[in-house]
Amino acid sequence: MANVEGKATAITVLTPVRREGPLVLWAVFWAGRHIKETLQKLEQLSFIHYARWAVIDRFPDEGEGEKLSHEYLLFESNFNGTWDQYIDAFSEVVPFRMKAIWGTSYGFPGPLPVEPFKDYIRRNEYVANHYWSAYPGYTTTEIISAGHVEAALREFQAHAAELEPEDFKRAYESMLTAIQHDL
Amino acid sequence: MSAANNICGQAYSLTVLTPIVDGHEIELADYLNRLQTGDQSPLARVRGTHFARWVVIDDVIFEGPEQGERDHLQHPRLLFTSNFDGDLEPYLEALRTDLADSADSIWSHCIGYPGTGDPDAFVRYFRHHQIDSSLFFAAYGDRTVEEVKRGLAARAKLIAFALRAQGMQAADLKSAFLREFGG
Repeated sequence: MANVEGKATAITVLTPVRREGPLVLWAVFWAGRHIKETLQKLEQLSFIHYARWAVIDRFPDEGEGEKLSHEYLLFESNFNGTWDQYIDAFSEVVPFRMKAIWGTSYGFPGPLPVEPFKDYIRRNEYVANHYWSAYPGYTTTEIISAGHVEAALREFQAHAAELEPEDFKRAYESMLTAIQHDL
Repeated sequence: MSAANNICGQAYSLTVLTPIVDGHEIELADYLNRLQTGDQSPLARVRGTHFARWVVIDDVIFEGPEQGERDHLQHPRLLFTSNFDGDLEPYLEALRTDLADSADSIWSHCIGYPGTGDPDAFVRYFRHHQIDSSLFFAAYGDRTVEEVKRGLAARAKLIAFALRAQGMQAADLKSAFLREFGG
């Protein structure tokens, strides 16, 4: 069993959706896709690499799919840090969004207080049998920072050779200052 | 749900749920649990994969009487999810050719799996069992695996250089930088 690969942790949750849930979820996810703020808030949770929600109305089989008496909501996330830190942050930073999404599922106790929410996730979570990350040694923040560093470096490199040594040194130091938080 | 919801930037979220042959779930879980991880994972061979997982889902969770009727899956399911670069079709072909025997060892426990020998049937099988995302979040969805790794390497190189270059005179700094990074 392997929910952890280096610094990355996998979470996989499958919850039964209330009768009226699918319509609400359709609206919530539509807003998520069209209202910039929703995903920006997730960016603030700066430890999520990738996350997805999917509504399962039929479990695929060889035919039309297996229809159960409820639809199910699948959530997966790839994040750095511990499971506890992750759930804590979710319930503190985006409680309304959590409520809008999992409030449509049976048994959801609300995002706060966090302990019942954690029990709920534990109950509905599946542990990965195999988990892969292409860069297990790095956090989301390090990857985004690396992108800034690379861009600044490329820009500096483009004209570095033409500068006189003293000007070069000043430009080099100013580049380092500009990206100091990304190093 | 629309297939466009599977995409964020250039990143694609693939969710595949395939029915496991009755009685095979323990053997399959055991096989997946024993796969080597990290660089030795079969998923390391599939280019463009940021994060991926296999999860055996024995059955759905029952959240108690409030839910009313209790659901059971007719067959357990194998969940495969991947967060990868680019379009679906080339990625499915990469799964077929790069996972090769590993793909057969895993999905041959699933009902109707055609094997890697028939390219069209392989793609059809995955598309038939695919679930579209409702909402997909990618913190750096514009960056491919190669770009992420290149950025991380550039950042590491610059940090090492900056430490080494501390206190260098302007002319030495410039020539050391150009030697290291070009310009």
